[in-house]
Amino acid sequence: METNFIFAGFGGQGILLAGTVLANAFMIEGKDVTWYPCYGAEMRGGTVNCEVVVSDTEVSSVHKQDTDYAIVLNQQSFDRFVKRVKKGGTIVANSTLVAETRPRADINYVFVPMTKLANDLGTSKVTNVVSLGVLASACPIVKKEFLEKGVAKVLGEKKKELLPLNIKALNALCEV
Amino acid sequence: MAENNEKVLIKGNYAIAQAAVNAGCQCYFGYPITPQTEIGEYLSGKMQELGRGYVCAESELGAINMVMGAVSTGVKAMTSSSSPAVALMQEGLSYAASDELPVVLVNVMRTGPGLGYIYPAQGDYNQAVYGGGNGDYKIIVLAPSTVQECIDLTYRAFYLAQKYRNPVILLADGILGQMMEPASFGKYPYPEVDVSSWALTGARGREARKIYSVATDEKKQIQHIYDLFKKFEIITQNETTYEEFNTEDADIILTSFGSMTRNIKAAMNVLRKKGIKAGCFRPVTLSPFPHKRVSELAGEGKDFIVVEMNMGQMFKDIKYAVNGQSKVSLVNRPVGEWLSVEEIVEAVESIVTQGLTVVNPGGVEYAASI
Repeated sequence: METNFIFAGFGGQGILLAGTVLANAFMIEGKDVTWYPCYGAEMRGGTVNCEVVVSDTEVSSVHKQDTDYAIVLNQQSFDRFVKRVKKGGTIVANSTLVAETRPRADINYVFVPMTKLANDLGTSKVTNVVSLGVLASACPIVKKEFLEKGVAKVLGEKKKELLPLNIKALNALCEV
Repeated sequence: MAENNEKVLIKGNYAIAQAAVNAGCQCYFGYPITPQTEIGEYLSGKMQELGRGYVCAESELGAINMVMGAVSTGVKAMTSSSSPAVALMQEGLSYAASDELPVVLVNVMRTGPGLGYIYPAQGDYNQAVYGGGNGDYKIIVLAPSTVQECIDLTYRAFYLAQKYRNPVILLADGILGQMMEPASFGKYPYPEVDVSSWALTGARGREARKIYSVATDEKKQIQHIYDLFKKFEIITQNETTYEEFNTEDADIILTSFGSMTRNIKAAMNVLRKKGIKAGCFRPVTLSPFPHKRVSELAGEGKDFIVVEMNMGQMFKDIKYAVNGQSKVSLVNRPVGEWLSVEEIVEAVESIVTQGLTVVNPGGVEYAASI
């Protein structure tokens, strides 16, 4: 069983990092996983995105045309990736920056004001980590305990002091 | 990155770079180009840290010649680049093959021809396997399909280069270079090769040696080329490697190289569920190519379907090996989005049911005469 996720937003919102944390979480859980970024001209201004594919067995293809989950942190990304969510799939949107519209009837929508929740914690920089917490509540195969381990792994020894803030960010949705 | 079996989530480019370090690569020379720039970026810091050599060369031509200079002294050295810039190194590869220099070159393929663009492609099969340099020469070409293999085959590239005194190309692509996957480095698994009989280390106390490719004597030149090809026969016998899945009972065999292999494996599983007996065959060494095994499988009446992101380059090697024993078809797209599992399944079904020989999913209608 293979599931894929697309993270998208402005350059600087920590999109690639959010994908990296999720990929690490899956790796720690013992699953096979790949992470693939958009690279090149797209990154210079405009939106940035990355794709995470997870599988119980060997991950087959990357760079898929459609996705089970799209996590979008800005309006541009919502408009672009809402079309690429599979039937019955889910789009998780940052409603601080995305208008709550539902252009398709065959997918699920999760709107959470992620930037606002991050600002409540003191910095909009953790919007990406808030989005992972939201994803965990919308997607049964994403588990918070492993996300916490994934965040810890990505921060490493050098940025250990940021771990408590990031753990709070992961749990921001529960504390609303 | 420790030399142990712990799994780390790592990009293909960084994996190649760290594997080169573990393999004992003493010098790196390169010039930046997307999508392989991370290799040079990583090594620029790492080599300095370890007191090894790193030069950001003034050009690709400079880089390949610097590698030739370094390896002629018996140390392990490498360069890395991408398609249009590897084209600039072809002269060097011809020289290195003739001079029998253990050059290691990593090509993280992007689109072409010409400058092309930075997205992934597989259009350099011919460039790597058949070469753009002059004269009769052969290069060893290894094609990884996962990040783990980027590590394993980088190790192998350094070993084979020195073992056979032959240039080796690691042929990756933009997808492998940019993607992250869990992989472990382990230790460099090969023995060190004794280079003392030929390396240029200063002639004190021994006869002077020369490494050069000019041949003014016709007889010697003829002998030299035969020697190179005799050597490659040995390489073909000893080092040809491939992977196959479900080929025993297969009616059709999907074949591809590099990262596209992942998609054909997935397509094979879907096709099996639909009742089409599909298998997979994938050369790990593109040169030496496993012609013999392909010929055996074709002899059992199995048809081949070649899936690749170019206009049918490996297709010709399969066709040559099959040699009319069974049907060979092509599913391809020159550049752009990797052929998806669904596209491959659909293409295979139309080949099986409608007898097509070429399918270009989502592409321009184009009837190749093959």
